[in-house]
Parts: sequence; structure tokens; C-alpha cells
Amino acid sequence: MIFTELRFVALFVACWITFYLVPRRYRAAVLTFWGAAFYLIYAGPFFVVVLVLAILAFFSGRRAAAWLTGIATVGLLVYFKGTTTSILVPLGFSYLSFELLHVVMERRRGRIEELSLIDLLAFVFFAPTRVAGPIKRYPDFVAAVRDAEPSSANVYAGLLRILFGLAKKYLLADVLALTVAEQTYVSSALHAWIIVFAYSLQIYFDFSAYSDIAIGLGRILGIGLPENFRWPYLAKNIREFWDRWHITLSHWVRDYVFVPVGRTLFRGPLRRSPIVIAAISYLVTFAIVGAWHGLTPAFLLWGVYHGVLLSLYHVVRLKTPVWIADHRWYEARAVRAASVMVTFFCVTLGWVPFMMPLPQAQKMLALMFGVAR
Amino acid sequence: MRSRTARRLVLTLVWLLIFDRAVPPLLELAERRHYESAAAFRFENSDLFALGPLVDYLRDHPRHQRRRVVFFGNSMIFGYFLTPAQAIPAQFQTLQPEARVYNAAVNGQEMGTSYLVGKAILDSVDVIYVQVIGEKANEMLPSLIPVDDADLRRFHLTAPNRVEARLQRWLGCAWRAYGLNDRMQAALFGTSTRVFLYMHKRDLARAFDVRTLQPAADSWPPIAGHIALRAPRLAATVHVPPRSLKTDLAELARSHGKRVVFMQFEWRGSRVNDAEAGAFNAAYAPFAETVIVTVPPEVTIDGQHPVPAAAAQIAEALARHEAQR
Repeated sequence: MIFTELRFVALFVACWITFYLVPRRYRAAVLTFWGAAFYLIYAGPFFVVVLVLAILAFFSGRRAAAWLTGIATVGLLVYFKGTTTSILVPLGFSYLSFELLHVVMERRRGRIEELSLIDLLAFVFFAPTRVAGPIKRYPDFVAAVRDAEPSSANVYAGLLRILFGLAKKYLLADVLALTVAEQTYVSSALHAWIIVFAYSLQIYFDFSAYSDIAIGLGRILGIGLPENFRWPYLAKNIREFWDRWHITLSHWVRDYVFVPVGRTLFRGPLRRSPIVIAAISYLVTFAIVGAWHGLTPAFLLWGVYHGVLLSLYHVVRLKTPVWIADHRWYEARAVRAASVMVTFFCVTLGWVPFMMPLPQAQKMLALMFGVAR
Repeated sequence: MRSRTARRLVLTLVWLLIFDRAVPPLLELAERRHYESAAAFRFENSDLFALGPLVDYLRDHPRHQRRRVVFFGNSMIFGYFLTPAQAIPAQFQTLQPEARVYNAAVNGQEMGTSYLVGKAILDSVDVIYVQVIGEKANEMLPSLIPVDDADLRRFHLTAPNRVEARLQRWLGCAWRAYGLNDRMQAALFGTSTRVFLYMHKRDLARAFDVRTLQPAADSWPPIAGHIALRAPRLAATVHVPPRSLKTDLAELARSHGKRVVFMQFEWRGSRVNDAEAGAFNAAYAPFAETVIVTVPPEVTIDGQHPVPAAAAQIAEALARHEAQR
């Protein structure tokens, strides 16, 4: 875990001290300097690639530069996700690519009017979010850096958040990972279910721990970062789940995939079938979310599975008669608890292709449902 | 608000400083209880984590009242399927109560690991038993025990990042709770906190009859086969054994005045090269020798791992061989 490496801690402490020693106008430069040092240490020569992409994004006010940045970023993302040699996958490129694409698209839409190169570099090289997100938004980040205030309250709150993240990672996620590792010799349906539920919890604790640490580090600097998880397994339906799980990613795909796809389809012959448009938009969006996690059939299947669940939920919600939807039973605690359990079950089932390659996932599912030969 | 959080930060720092003073004496107590008791010693869940702390403890405490015997090997020596007390080293301890026997075997380990760990602790132990199997060393070893550059190259291992290692050393000296945290976990739990929690979760799994990694059985049927231990037959012409991990460890044992016993297991279909083993014994006695243990498949659980009675027979044969020297 990079966050617990002393090289990272030393860099961060140096960054924190200089961040508050220099005048406010140089803070972005300080973040850029230490972020670049972090990249050079952990990603070596890939630093140059990121620098070039950031400079291209800076010129994305021009149409040609915007296209070039978009194609280069997506091309590199596909290349790194498609290659099997993990050494080539540079540090947090998935997160970086979505942040760069956000800058380019917002620039083209005219929502980012002023772009400073040093602010953009600070945004791109900001070390705490480079490991596992959250996916930042440029205007919010620049405002947070500008308004950052040194305070013992921020340091204390940040340290507590980091401690909370570390406890989640080491005491929950890593312990559950040992149960998940039992998948190599799983032999009974009950054992298979235990492993899959353990994975469901492990991936949440692990991923949200990284987010907690990143947000805690930001807080120590006085920079507010977006929340990434909000008790996702307490969601009452799949749409609410995606409002609580990896929030910065789901908001990104909502803004830059779901809405544009839906808008485009509304201009075509499907405009009389909004349900079909919604279903197609969900499927395309979540196929991309699956591919973003890795270009393998298993990740794609996971994405499509969520696309189907969201489409089904959308259809059921629209087609349910009002007298049923408004019935007071819907607000009963037992019904809400059942909804939470059904959602958790559906999400957990979806993790099977996420946790292992498709052939093994097939065997696992067969074992779980007692149809293994 | 600001002064309250500042006070909390200072109080936390003071508390950490006070706690830090107590860490070394607490560790001393915990380690003595863990490493010097009469209970059978082996790594929980065959986990490599506790190997580093064991090596650190032995290197820090080279002087001892009891004779120290360490067993290295894979799951066969570890006692896969068996309880800690049923494994070969623990059974050996019951036959030699004056000795403190450490079962330092870990599933899947080969002789390269035994060589590097043996080299690191040679000054702190009296006898080392090494299972002869493979040549590789575990890639995690450089982060657990001291490994010199020549051995890193020899076993194709990657050294831990030097800057990171130096920072860890500095911080470990200044903040003992950080520097000694692995040793404290190993002394308290016999493994990492993570594996300890997992092991206790496993107890719950057993209650639901879920198959787990090391199904320990309390009763086994009586064994039909018989374990045989023999010294290799000497060839007509004694030649100098070629350089190998065995000869290197034997050289080290000779130069340090220690003893290494290589256990070469003979299975149905696999025969030990008697001439080579005999030449080795002739060259390195009494500091190092090879013993050949024949294990018929009838006394194993799965063709390789001995049942408790067979493990007891192997331990008995080793102890008898030692007594006859």
C-alpha cells in the first residue's frame, strides 16, 4: 500500500510543510512539485507521458488539441487496460484519464473558461488521489486549493479519517481477503456463498479505505475532496446503490456518458420510446464502467449486468401503478429492510465475474446454485 | 475549537511517547512466553509473516539455556493436516525435552529458503534439520530477514527499496512501537493480527462444517507401513561432492561449529543418490550429514503428508539417530 510507505509519508509531510510556508499564490506550484516527485518515484518514466497529456489538455480550448488529448488519453487507457503486463500499467491512470477527459469536455462546453497551467498540473499530479481516486473535478479542486486554510482541526480530522481508513483496510479488508483466497479450493455451496459475501464486503472495505485515506490526506492539507462512498450496502435499490458506491465515478459517467448518449438517442427515431432510450443509455454507460475496470470479458459482463439491473429497475419504477408505489407499506421498515437485502444480494451476485475470470466465475455460480456437475 | 483539537493532538502525541517506552519490556515478556515455552512451536496457518520475527528474536538472543533445534522444510515438516503437536518437530521435542525445537517450516518452501534463514540464525542455534527439496528461495525473504547482495543474485531475489528500508530503520529507532510492531504481533498471536483474526473466523466456519485450509483430525487409523531411516551407502570411490546449497550450508556449519542434518525423503519411485549423499557425509561429518528417510505411501494422508503416527515414527528415528552419534 503506497500510502503506508515511508517514502510517500516523507513526501507528504514535506508537501504539507511547504504548502503552508509559501505564499498562497504559490500553493499550486508546491502541489505540482511534490506531485511530480511522487510520480517520478513511483511511476518513473511515465511521468513524461502524464506531463505531455496535461500540457495537451491545457490547450484543449482549441478543437484539434481537444481531440488529440481525448484520443491520446482514451488510446493510452485502452492500451494499459488491454495489456496483460501489469508493469506497464502506470500509477492510477484510470482515474487520471477520467479527470483529463473531464477537463477537456468541460473546456469544450465552455464551463471551464480560465485554465492555468500550474493549477492544471497540480490537479493532475495531486498524489493522494492518484492511487485509487476519488475522481476530482477541476473547478472544485482549484477552489479548494485556493481556500485551503492551515488548522489543527483539519490535521486532527484528517488523521482520524486516515486512521479509520487504515483500520478498515488492515482489520477488515485484509482479513476478509484471506477468506476470499479460499476460492482456490472451494468445494461446497455454503463455502462458495461465504466466499462471495466475504468478497462483497472486502471490496467495499478495501476500496473505501483508500478513499478515506485520500480524503484524510486532502483534509490535512485543508483541501476538501469529494466523498466516494456513502454506506452503499444500505441502498434500497440499484439506482440508489450507484448514488452511494464509487460516487465520483458514477457521477462522471452520468455527466459524460449517460446524459450525452440519452440526448443523442432522443434526437433519433427512438424518441417515442424513452424506456428503450434509458435502457440503452444504462447498458452503454455500464459497459464503459466495466471496461474502465479492465478490458476483460468478466469486467464487461459485470458492467452489463449492472446496466441490465438499472434498466429493469427503471422499467419497474415507471410501470408500477401509482396506488401501489404510494402505498404506505412501501415505507414500512420490514419492506425497506427487504429492499436493502435484495439490493445487497443482487450486487453481491454481480461481484462473482468481477472477482475471477469467466470460466471460474461460471463454476463458482454453478456451485453456489447447486448445479455443479 | 482550535485549541481543543490542538490539545487533543498534543495529548495523543504524549500518550504515544509514554506507550513507546513500554513497548520493549512488553515485547521481551511476550517473546519469552512465545519462543521459550514448552509448547509446540510452529507458524500459525503456515504463514511466512512470523519467520522474520523468529529470526530477529534468535539473533537478538544468541545465548540460551536449552539446546536449540530448528526444522526447515515444506508442508510435510510443517505438518499439513496435523495439529501443531502432531507435526514431526513437535514429536521430536517430546523425545528430547531438554531441547527447544522450532518448527520453521512453511508450506511450499524449498531449500533456498532454508539456506538463507539457516545462514541468518546459525550463531543462535545448535542443530538445524533441513528437508532436501528444490533450490528456490521465497521472494518475500529479503523483506523479512537479512540477505546479502551475493545471495540476492544467487536466488534471483529483489532487494527491498533501499530508501524505504533506510527510512523504516530510522523511524523504527525513533518510534519503537513502529519498529517492533511485526515482532509484537508474532509474539502475541504467533502470526500477523490479520491471520490471527482469520484463524478465529475459521473456527466459526468449522462450526458450520465448511472445509478449511488445514483440516485437523483428532483420530487416525493405525498405520500399516513402516518408516525407515538410514545413512547413505558409501560408494567404492569417495569423490568430493559438487558445490550446492547443501555443501554451502555444511561449510557454514563447520566454520561456526554447528550441526546441520539434511533429511532426504525417499518415496516409492524416487531413489536418493547414495553415492553423492555418502560422499557428502564423508566430507562434512560430524558437522553436516544426510539421512535418508523412506516413507511408504500407506503411512501418508495424500501420498506425501504423513499421518500423525508416521510423523511420530520419523521424529523417533531422527532422535534415535541423533542419540547414536
